[in-house]
Amino acid sequence: MSTEPQSLVTDPQAAALTTPRRRRSGGFFSAPSGWLSVGVLGLFALVAIFGPLFVDSPSGLGTDILQSPSGAHWFGTDDLGQDVFAQVVWGTRISLLVGAVASLIAIGIGTLLGLAAAYVKRLDPVVTTATDVMLSLPMLPLMILVTALAGPSVVTLITVIGLLSWPEVTRMIRANGLVVAAMPYIDGARVLGAGASRIISREILPAVMPLVVVNVLLTAARAVIAEAGLSFLGMGDPSSWSWGRILLNAQRSGTIASAWWQTLFPSLAILLLVLAATIAGIRYNDSRDPRTRGV
Amino acid sequence: MLRYAASRLFRAILTIWIAVTVTFFLLRLLPADPTLLVVEGDMTPKMQDALRSQYGLDKPILQQYGLYLGQLVQGNLGVSFRQLVPVTELLLDRLPWTLLLAGSAFVLTLLIGIPLGVYAAVGRGGPVDRAVQFFGITSNALFIPSVAILLLVVFGSNLGWFPIGQAIDPDTRGLAAYGSLLHHLALPLFSLVLVQLGPYALTLRTNMAEVLGEDYITSARSRGLTPRRVVWRHALRNAVLPALMLMGLQLGTLIGGAVLTETVFAYPGVGRLIFESVQQLDFPVLQGAFVILAVTVVLANLLTDLLSMALNPRIRT
Repeated sequence: MSTEPQSLVTDPQAAALTTPRRRRSGGFFSAPSGWLSVGVLGLFALVAIFGPLFVDSPSGLGTDILQSPSGAHWFGTDDLGQDVFAQVVWGTRISLLVGAVASLIAIGIGTLLGLAAAYVKRLDPVVTTATDVMLSLPMLPLMILVTALAGPSVVTLITVIGLLSWPEVTRMIRANGLVVAAMPYIDGARVLGAGASRIISREILPAVMPLVVVNVLLTAARAVIAEAGLSFLGMGDPSSWSWGRILLNAQRSGTIASAWWQTLFPSLAILLLVLAATIAGIRYNDSRDPRTRGV
Repeated sequence: MLRYAASRLFRAILTIWIAVTVTFFLLRLLPADPTLLVVEGDMTPKMQDALRSQYGLDKPILQQYGLYLGQLVQGNLGVSFRQLVPVTELLLDRLPWTLLLAGSAFVLTLLIGIPLGVYAAVGRGGPVDRAVQFFGITSNALFIPSVAILLLVVFGSNLGWFPIGQAIDPDTRGLAAYGSLLHHLALPLFSLVLVQLGPYALTLRTNMAEVLGEDYITSARSRGLTPRRVVWRHALRNAVLPALMLMGLQLGTLIGGAVLTETVFAYPGVGRLIFESVQQLDFPVLQGAFVILAVTVVLANLLTDLLSMALNPRIRT
């Protein structure tokens, strides 16, 4: 939940500033940040899909309590003797699942509202006000309240994060959609008799699609942080592992100071995943922007 | 100018009303029956009915809503399920600490963020700029509890430089009390600022880059003013106000961060109260905490907007 990557790519100029020195050819993979970030994301996806097939679910009580990392326990063990590596691997699945699905929900709602506001003049004030109101509310306390009321589960987390993360998307898509909606070819389509829904879906949407792709990545990054935050506060699914829950367990059992491995590895996982998603988003934005492609 | 102030005030009231209304309907719609949550297990139907009428739950929902709004205006947020104390009392006990933490983070982020953003924008592509970008993107990806735990373990437990838990040593008086206050505040504040600062400096850098491209800057340069003077006297003046407004927009995130920070450091603010209430499923407290934090954020946002307006001749239309 913490910080929103606001204006990392809000406008082309900002994006242009992000990589001032790039004067190479424009493909996504032409810069190391491109393939590196996608590589890391791919690795996380592989761990999420196949990891649990090879690593036993961390359950039951082990005899090796609070062991530091070793050949037998790569990431050490917690105060119940459960393997931290296994927790991180199983947590990857939940974090990625929540991040991806919640992001898609938020993108769906956000893009729809943003485009509707950009093209339909009467809707604009309503959508803009709703977006502003949502953005000015403290989202984490609201998410906590809703999750607590609905009962913590993976489905709840996905729904709550997805349904409450659209305003940032709406704001960006609307701003971009307004520019597109003012272009002459939109007037052309209208003159030819195209209706609002056709113009929005066939004419404006394709033009803002690159920004939608960027937003999928940035929103997923935010969703991963939100999920970790909720799980850390005890609002996670009690029956499945997540990175936030590992940190919560360390906090609850009072082993934070003595067992650094229990908090370090899930923390690194969150950092790496969010960083990779953000950088991939920025890189994609740069590679689409003629100003930074050095054409 | 008055119209702008009025529209901001209207927006603030609307936001609070929406927050409060959403909370009410969530509480009524989501769980089957709030009385079931008061005490688990053995309750006779008669006791449930008594509880329902005590909470006004036997009335039509719109009437309940009216009652709820009436209570809210009087500052009544209900009674904590677990501690049997008025929620308002619990929250007001904790709120000052959250205000202190979030408020100092707000000011500190401004004070460090503005120079960072300005230096980065001025020396675009240079070492400072790239350092700010690197820091901005990394800090944006940081998970607050991770940072807080790291700081707590290194500087709190291992080095023992800073105290853990509580906001002040109750035995101190006078100046020593202020010292103790700052001493307890340092680590939570630092973790919060570290995470807020990056994205903020990045955005400011973009704003500042725009300002530096404006005509009056070009004209100041052509008049032969030193670059230093151009940046700090002319450009910065016009970057500070948007910077303040921008920080106002960040308040919701800042409060969310404060909740997580307080939890790690056992800092006795509203966030830590939320963490404790989550474990006990104390819904009135969670609801009250959201309402009070929403009101705080909206009022603070209104304040920063009005302040920027008072300082900025351009908005006075």
